[in-house]
Amino acid sequence: MEKAALDNADPTILSVSQLPSRRQKNGAARHGPASKYDHLISPRQSGPWDLSSSVSSWSSDEDEGDEDLAIEPLDEQEIYDLISPISDPEHPHTLGQLSVVNLPDIHITPSRGNTLNTVLVELTPTVNHCSLATVIGLAVRVRLEKALPPNFRIDVRMKEGSHAQDDQVNKQLGDKERVAAALENDQLTRVLNKMMETCA
Amino acid sequence: MANFRDLALKYVLSEDEPAQRQIVEAAAKEIDSARANSTVVGNWAASVQQWISPASAGDDDVEDGEDGASGNILTRAKALSFLAGTLEALDRATLKTDQVLRLIGFFGAVFSYDHKAGITASAKALRQLYAMKNFRPDMAAKIIEDVCKLKEDFRLQTASTRLEIYELILSLVEDSSISSELQYHYGQSCGFVVDLLQLCQAERDPKNLMIWFKILAVILADYPQSPEVTEQIFKAFSAYFPISLRSSATPTAVTPDDLKGAVRSCFAAHQRLAPLAFPFLIQKLDQGDAITVAVKVDILKTIEACITQYEHPQNSVVPHMDKIWNSLKYEVRNGEVKETIDATLHVLRAIANKLNGSEPSGLKSYIDLVFKDCRDDLGSPTYTKQAGLLLVTVISANVRAYILENANLVGCIRQNLAQSKSPSHTKDLVLLLNSVLKERQKLIKTRKTEDEEQLKNETLTHLSSLFHEVYLPIWTKNISSPDTGQVDVLRQVVQGLDALVGQQVLRADGQVMLLCSRTTCSDICKLLTRILVKGLALSSNDNAATDSALEDDCVVALRNIVMNYGDGFPELMSGVRAEIRRRDWVTSSQYSLDALKDLVSRLAFIGCSEIPSNNALDVPSTRPYSPLQHFITLVAASLDLFPLAVPRDESVKEPLANSYLICVIHGAMLYFRDACAARHKPETLSARSSSDNNWLQEFEALPGDWLQQLDSADEATDEKLYSLTGDEPEVYRQFLRLSLFTLRCLYQRAASGTQPPWSDRILGQLANIAGLVVRSLDEKLQSLCNLAREAFNHFSAQTISPNKPRSELLTFGILEGLWPGAMVDLYKPGGVAETLLCDASDIGPPRAAIGAILANKHKGGPSTPDPESQTIKKVLEFWGNQIKEATTSTTTANPEAFTALNNIAMHIFAGAIARQDKNVANLVVPVIHEAISSEHANGEIVARSAGTLVRVGSSELLSSENHGVVRRLYKQWIYNILVKSLYRDVLPTADQDPARSGRHTTAILSIVSECPFKVYEEDLEPLSRLLITALNRPARGSEGLSSGLQTAASALQVLNEILANEPTTLEGHLEAVINGAVAVYGECSPKNKVSSSKSMVQCRKLVLQLLGALPQKFEERHLLSSSRKLQRMLALACGDPVRELRAVARQARANWEKLV
Repeated sequence: MEKAALDNADPTILSVSQLPSRRQKNGAARHGPASKYDHLISPRQSGPWDLSSSVSSWSSDEDEGDEDLAIEPLDEQEIYDLISPISDPEHPHTLGQLSVVNLPDIHITPSRGNTLNTVLVELTPTVNHCSLATVIGLAVRVRLEKALPPNFRIDVRMKEGSHAQDDQVNKQLGDKERVAAALENDQLTRVLNKMMETCA
Repeated sequence: MANFRDLALKYVLSEDEPAQRQIVEAAAKEIDSARANSTVVGNWAASVQQWISPASAGDDDVEDGEDGASGNILTRAKALSFLAGTLEALDRATLKTDQVLRLIGFFGAVFSYDHKAGITASAKALRQLYAMKNFRPDMAAKIIEDVCKLKEDFRLQTASTRLEIYELILSLVEDSSISSELQYHYGQSCGFVVDLLQLCQAERDPKNLMIWFKILAVILADYPQSPEVTEQIFKAFSAYFPISLRSSATPTAVTPDDLKGAVRSCFAAHQRLAPLAFPFLIQKLDQGDAITVAVKVDILKTIEACITQYEHPQNSVVPHMDKIWNSLKYEVRNGEVKETIDATLHVLRAIANKLNGSEPSGLKSYIDLVFKDCRDDLGSPTYTKQAGLLLVTVISANVRAYILENANLVGCIRQNLAQSKSPSHTKDLVLLLNSVLKERQKLIKTRKTEDEEQLKNETLTHLSSLFHEVYLPIWTKNISSPDTGQVDVLRQVVQGLDALVGQQVLRADGQVMLLCSRTTCSDICKLLTRILVKGLALSSNDNAATDSALEDDCVVALRNIVMNYGDGFPELMSGVRAEIRRRDWVTSSQYSLDALKDLVSRLAFIGCSEIPSNNALDVPSTRPYSPLQHFITLVAASLDLFPLAVPRDESVKEPLANSYLICVIHGAMLYFRDACAARHKPETLSARSSSDNNWLQEFEALPGDWLQQLDSADEATDEKLYSLTGDEPEVYRQFLRLSLFTLRCLYQRAASGTQPPWSDRILGQLANIAGLVVRSLDEKLQSLCNLAREAFNHFSAQTISPNKPRSELLTFGILEGLWPGAMVDLYKPGGVAETLLCDASDIGPPRAAIGAILANKHKGGPSTPDPESQTIKKVLEFWGNQIKEATTSTTTANPEAFTALNNIAMHIFAGAIARQDKNVANLVVPVIHEAISSEHANGEIVARSAGTLVRVGSSELLSSENHGVVRRLYKQWIYNILVKSLYRDVLPTADQDPARSGRHTTAILSIVSECPFKVYEEDLEPLSRLLITALNRPARGSEGLSSGLQTAASALQVLNEILANEPTTLEGHLEAVINGAVAVYGECSPKNKVSSSKSMVQCRKLVLQLLGALPQKFEERHLLSSSRKLQRMLALACGDPVRELRAVARQARANWEKLV
């Protein structure tokens, strides 16, 4: 795309370290200069003498151990992590870096429970006349549909007042049939795939 | 004559290179043996006449395309190359001067009349003649003249012919005797150069260009010439600039960078070129956006090369300095590309370095020029960084430039700081000030002897006042409630303070000391310590900044500061101790505990990750210097503070604060070990991990609070510690000695102490420390100190019973790090090893680990009936009987008691298996086979734990770091003798008791899941059938859910492994595998109420990994039938309560979606 055709030629870009991440929330995982040996010296109940604490052992289910496997319900940060790495169709940056996707604009209702949940994502285009808002919205929607279980209803909209034609864009994004029709379009699918290449 | 003619004919007719070489060697031998008799030489030269004469007459008239003519050309070329080849083979001294002259005449003439055939051979021959002993320099002029006669026809020659000519010319012009002859012959007009330039003006071949540029560089550097000639040469090579290389179908070995370098060496060949080169290059640079980054960098590097290599800078560089600066400054001021900015800075630095050797006024006027343009930019937030970069680059180029102008620059920065426009402007200015300081550190470190005089007379007041007049006011202004911008300023201040304390000065007597006074250093330490302990004073309600960047910077700065200012660390520690003591740690909040945890790891890092240097200060220190001082201070303080909290009431939860104090000691040892490793090679250090003295005996004479005494003493009490410098490897030995003393101290206190504060958690930490210390000592020292005995005595006078449960952890810690050779005493008949290992009464996890160690780390060889092997044999027999009895007795089984007992047995077996003990085959394997075949309930327990037999050998317990005796192929070995025979009992066709085959399946999978793929590669067929049976076994509930799941999990693990290595094995069983995996997932489903258990989560993870990997390994046709079902299942799995599993499920779902 030529430079002159960009809707916003000079957007504000956040660096990766400025994006909200789980690490910042979780004070326990410190990564300072003095953390090299934290894993070795932190006091634990088990040690090399206690071989029952290894993974293959099944006798100690109640062990503290593996923090990665703890029960943590799906939250806003996880939704953010799913959609913020999507690339912008115009710039070589992600939606997170361009602040199109913001953590406070993601809402899950009801916040807990196994019943039907709704994820509402409000997008903020970099300029209020952004012509690619629908494509971005579609990409977010597709990404979430492919990543969330079926009991999640997905609602993607433009944040109120952030886009000149937010009503129309919201209508398009909310219309299941129009979304399905859009995904039949090969060229559009290619654009979407390109945008999702940066998602892990 | 006939002889030579024959040879020539043979040569012309031959196509084979080795044969041709033989022919010319024969001809050369002939001439050599005749001692270059003129008749012989004449005959030799005339031998090619038959090909030369007729052709020379008619050659020019004949068209190239005609067969006869091209044949003539070829034979003529070959004939001439016969002559050239002979010359090459000839002895260098054979030909006489007149013969050389005549031959030069002959071959030179070829350039005039035989442009098609003779050039390559003639050039080659002339090169040979040049190498002859009787070649005279005056002949060179003739050669060059002859060569130049080629004129326009030169470019029609092939590239390889031209290459010959270039090489001929290069060898001539490089020769110093020829050079003086040519200079005499042609004078300043250098006529031959003009001819050469005309001859070679259109060269395009990269290989040839490389030599052509070299010729030009040599001529420019070695031949005095008139400005006109210089200009002509300049035109010749500058026409190629900037040079690039087109990609070609037949690539040469020459790279674009080689070519750029060759042209660059022409530019930089002589200062005579300066008036031409600089304007030319600057004009190219000023084309702005029209040139690419690569070209820009090429130009800048060329300018740099000219500046560096031109002599007499006053005449060559100075006249162009203004122009260069005016053009280059914008590259940095407005530049965005790192490569060009870096290259520009190199040029600017090169100018300063060039002018360093000249008169002082040159350097001064250059720096003034830079200052004049950059001074105003410092006041503008947009350009502060760039202006700073330019200024720092120029003044830090060398010591003279720095001393001339740094005060001026610092003054300028201070002025702008006083009128700073914004926090980010302040940050940039402080950053600039820090760079000035850091550059000074570098200059002092790399100073040369000639710089020292200047450094001794350096004015320093503007630097020594920086803390109180610049850094402290900025700090005070921003520290109260910093926002993001102010935190950035503070971070820069911290880094500045770090650089400031590191400043050294050279006193008039040549001694190096710190720039800052003792009080300033101390004030800086106190300031930063406040940030370090801030966390202790806050609570979770204070909503402290989540970003710990400032604290991290403080930690690094403090580490560097106390390394330079040694007394800083005791000061810091006394402050921290007071802060810690002020608080109640019995009922402390999680927040305070986290703060303490951060603090202790930081203290270990600050004090011990660098060895302190011995720097002089304005007021000398009252403490003697030792490189281990900080380590001593830290350990002594921790020992002193321990225990921080002793709850009066047993019901109160164990206070973690005590554990953190032990963490400090462990951390200090790890960091100090790294600091030693960073300074010395591993072999130097391992040579220092020994000693001729029994350290433990030495410790007997020392008081229990020796470390505390060392810490508080004002004079050196231990000569070994206080006579060292930081660079000696001996520091490592003393560190180990102190570590062992600390360990002894902790063990003694723990062994006699009660719980609390000596909880199991802390004893575990002590075991870890013991492992670290003991494994660092070599075998000799371990034996000398009899550490094997101390493993059970715990450094106490009286022997402690090895069966006392709480002491087992301490025992384990020492045993873990011992060398087999240091444990010999334990294996005496009836000794500790036997008593301890043949005792089934007291059981707990450390006992199993101790068992594994003792069964593994002994010196016994495979054949000799040494006491160690005898003891282990007894032990294996004992435990074999225990297992046999437990799986055959009729008394009611107590599964829990047997699980614990079995665990010890398995560990002991595993220790022996890892070293491939010969007794395993007849004492262990039959017992295991019998146990898992027995119908007794305990048989199932044995089968489930069979994996332990293999796992222990590859665990940390027996790692090579811990000196474990682990044979490389032990897994293969035990698999062959234990597992292979079990397969036939478990195949679905076999007429077997299903419960028994189930146990066999469990045992096989338990072992196989611990082995690498290569081990069971041969048995994939029976194994895959067994895996499917295991996955689809309907009676999982009957064995107990946990046990069934364990087998399923092992099966999934093995399946994943097979899928990664040999997926085709599973091709026929895919549907069964998928159904089995889905069934297992269903049983572990998150909807299941007990699904929170770790084993279920693990199982689900393995299922998702397996399913996710299938589409990557198999073609669509094998998977399509299951696709719909799996996509539904994976979509649901994306809602798993465990986050990590959701990620795995999403990946698997994406893989399956690609199928359709």
